[in-house]
Amino acid sequence: MNCISRSLRRARIGTGFSTVQRRCYAVQAPGNPPPEVFNEKHKWLQRERAASKPEASRQVDALRDEIASRLCERLLDIKRDFSNVLDLGAGPCTIARTLTQPNPDPDSTQPITAPLSTRISNLTCVDTSPTLLHRDASLPFNHLLPSLTRTVVPTLEQPLPFAPNTFNAILSCLSLHWVNDLPGLLGHCNALLCPDSPFIGAMLGGDTLYELRTSLQLAEMSLLGGTAQHMSPLADVRDVGGVLQRAGFKLLTVDIDDLVIEFPSVFDLMVDLQAMGESNAAVMREPSGLRRDVMAAAEAIYRELHGEDGNEGVPATFRIIYMIGWKEGEGQQTPLERGSGMVSIKEVLEGKKEGSGDDK
Amino acid sequence: MSTARARPIEKFARAVAQCSSQGAAYGKCIAADFNNVKKDKCIDDFLKLKECYMAALKKK
Repeated sequence: MNCISRSLRRARIGTGFSTVQRRCYAVQAPGNPPPEVFNEKHKWLQRERAASKPEASRQVDALRDEIASRLCERLLDIKRDFSNVLDLGAGPCTIARTLTQPNPDPDSTQPITAPLSTRISNLTCVDTSPTLLHRDASLPFNHLLPSLTRTVVPTLEQPLPFAPNTFNAILSCLSLHWVNDLPGLLGHCNALLCPDSPFIGAMLGGDTLYELRTSLQLAEMSLLGGTAQHMSPLADVRDVGGVLQRAGFKLLTVDIDDLVIEFPSVFDLMVDLQAMGESNAAVMREPSGLRRDVMAAAEAIYRELHGEDGNEGVPATFRIIYMIGWKEGEGQQTPLERGSGMVSIKEVLEGKKEGSGDDK
Repeated sequence: MSTARARPIEKFARAVAQCSSQGAAYGKCIAADFNNVKKDKCIDDFLKLKECYMAALKKK
């Protein structure tokens, strides 16, 4: 308003030239879209293609199964019954299958407990790829759950078709690393949860497959003189805590697990990643893919730099970031107010003063 | 895989696997100074590797 009237006045005062100067307040456009890192359509195609060969796809389920079992172990710690649980980015409903097993970890020293599914009355699996989601729909574990719903959504980035305060827990296993707007999705998850309910997720991040990344870079540098992006960028462990906090979660726990898996060769690793639907889907990826001579060179460098003596195969590291956040609710533990501490922790740690129970 | 025809990458992987000694020589050459890699570094070793796997591919 101000801006317009001033520019009109200047135009009137001016000597016939239309040299209108405008000065406006800089306003950030609302709803700035998040940067697009991954091509969603491409990712969808990769997962559809992978799931269209069920046999090959089931052969590479081991990693997903292992991580799902570790994720469900974390659910064991919560002594509650869940009436409504969401599995976000379910893939072939791996979490549902793990929940029906008597013990998430078969090698555990803990006594065998009843399957977690007995404590869950309704499980909703959500994914973008219908073929992958329904891949195991005819397997027996489907009948062991009281109620299992499969919902196909066009994208995880848009708000999911559920009402706020619907779910008593949200689980997510190995799907968050392909999400462009992670803070937005987690914020939306926070809204979907009932008060005082947990979000438990596992995603690949940090140094996952650093061996492959570095070998490809070295091979391309020596053969072509430059590098292209053949592996998608991943979130770092340090960022995850901040993202959870931004989404409004409380009582955060973030921890990591490194899984090192041995593959016969780099080619087997790449074929398996493809069968898992985990090929590169970054927007800035090299469209032509990998050249054959780069692959051969990368195999030689990988073996030399990362291969262990005496082992036939090559190791591949998967770093899994587990995150737990709770939606704010009544009766939840909260940190004390800033400045309310009466005891110096320095003195307690140095042993000058015994920490007493009445400190606040 | 149970498909009758092997995928190209499987054929290629088998061919490269037959050239482990040339591969090791190339890998050692790069790994010896991997902080300083430029174009055509160790190209002689690589060409030997390439010759080997191209020959192995042709044999099939």
